[in-house]
Amino acid sequence: MRVCWESGLEQLDSAELGDAVRPRRNGATGGPAARDAGEVPLGALIVAVAGGDGRAFQRLYDLRSSRLYGIALRITRQPSLAADAVHDAYLELWRNAGRFDERRGDADVWLASLVRYRAVDMTRRLGREVSDEDVPEAVDEEPDALARMVASSESAALRGCLGTLEPDRRRVLALAFTDGLSHSELAARLRLPIGTIKSWIRRSLQSLRVCLEAET
Amino acid sequence: MSGTEPEGRDEMQLLAGEYVLCVLDGAEMRAVDRQASADPALAQAIAGWERRLAPMLSAVPEVAAPDSLWARIAHSAALPDQSQTAAPAARPAATPWHQASQPAEAAWPRPVGAARVWPWKAATGVSLALAASLAGLVLLPTLAPRPPREPIAGGRDVAMVAVLTPPETPADTRPASAAQMANDTGTTRLAEPPSDGSDTARTGGRVAGFLIAGWPDGTVVLTAFAPVPLPPGKTLELWMQPPDGTAPRALGLFSATGRQVTLATLPPPATVLSLTVEPAGGSPTGAPTGPIAFTGTLRRTQR
Repeated sequence: MRVCWESGLEQLDSAELGDAVRPRRNGATGGPAARDAGEVPLGALIVAVAGGDGRAFQRLYDLRSSRLYGIALRITRQPSLAADAVHDAYLELWRNAGRFDERRGDADVWLASLVRYRAVDMTRRLGREVSDEDVPEAVDEEPDALARMVASSESAALRGCLGTLEPDRRRVLALAFTDGLSHSELAARLRLPIGTIKSWIRRSLQSLRVCLEAET
Repeated sequence: MSGTEPEGRDEMQLLAGEYVLCVLDGAEMRAVDRQASADPALAQAIAGWERRLAPMLSAVPEVAAPDSLWARIAHSAALPDQSQTAAPAARPAATPWHQASQPAEAAWPRPVGAARVWPWKAATGVSLALAASLAGLVLLPTLAPRPPREPIAGGRDVAMVAVLTPPETPADTRPASAAQMANDTGTTRLAEPPSDGSDTARTGGRVAGFLIAGWPDGTVVLTAFAPVPLPPGKTLELWMQPPDGTAPRALGLFSATGRQVTLATLPPPATVLSLTVEPAGGSPTGAPTGPIAFTGTLRRTQR
């Protein structure tokens, strides 16, 4: 699969984005990937958007809309809802870019969070389709977080720690995080008691945290 | 496990993790939101989990967004009036979930760009031609209703029903010219329009339409009275018109024979439901782009 986070970045020519876009605040991107040489300063784009730079906003759309739409589609399973979620996430970005804060993680984490919460909320209000006969092929795969995760330095620790979980529990975590399934939806999907799901998730979270803290 | 830590901190971390995974239900999510806005430690724990788990999202394939989406976003972002009226964006800083779930919003979330033009009324002439086309070309015998794929919860009775039929055809509608309009506006005719628009709602006594049945648990089954000759690359999308007059909300995509969807809650009685013809995959804009092919009103059953 494509290396999502890196795709297309080399095409950015910051010179064409105007002064506001120049990476005057590289540190705002926060995450390690954003500090790598040659990477687009996403955080700087967000800072420019906070200043009302429409071209920076469009560049952020060009760079990340496919990723965010993919995330939204995985959760909503309905293209029109996914489009709504991405629309709302970008509008939130446009209006609240000034709130971007490295305490919330790097720019990609922030953007993904905007669209994830929105997509989950919309999906739960409007309902999830039972049938998947119209779901595009691209989202009709069982998530296997470990196998599909892009190998990058920042994911190495998580990969390692996910690998210590039993496959069933790892799958539950992935279904929750990437598909946005609630406790009760997970229980229905996996035909397991909701109490089992809850305790699996709590134990997995606990293991992950201990493992990740040990690695860093 | 980690007995050296205060139990409260473990609990907060777990709650934050559950929040970020989105496994909590809506009320719980909002409760955590409120808590986090007053508790920086919890907010920080949430941010920490967002950062830790984010690499898992690299397993989700990128999918090109619909071509029209940028125009829609740019439109919404470029209108300051709209940004103040349609989007409760001047909300206090909060987590995204909180922002997406303000109680001030309608029970059915309205798109942020809620001032989008409601295309249905403008397309009346087109929709009539399409409906006529649909109604005139019912070719096959009525299908048996497709059973729901999963058992209806609790075996309870149907709570609401609606019959969706083609919109009524006014006397002055001429299918040929209206069909031309359909082409002009970029929509697609389902089939050749019937030569006589006056008797298009019936063919051999069978009315073209759909039956919608809704159960209290949100299960909705839509069954075609007869197959609809959908052209390749087209699908039917079901919409509800919120009673407050805001933009229609997509409820799901359907094949020409119907199928089942599950909604979080059933729309209230008297809600107008409509099926439009949309490109495969659904409306690219999130709002209806095709004309109404079938429409009807949701009614509560007598129980």
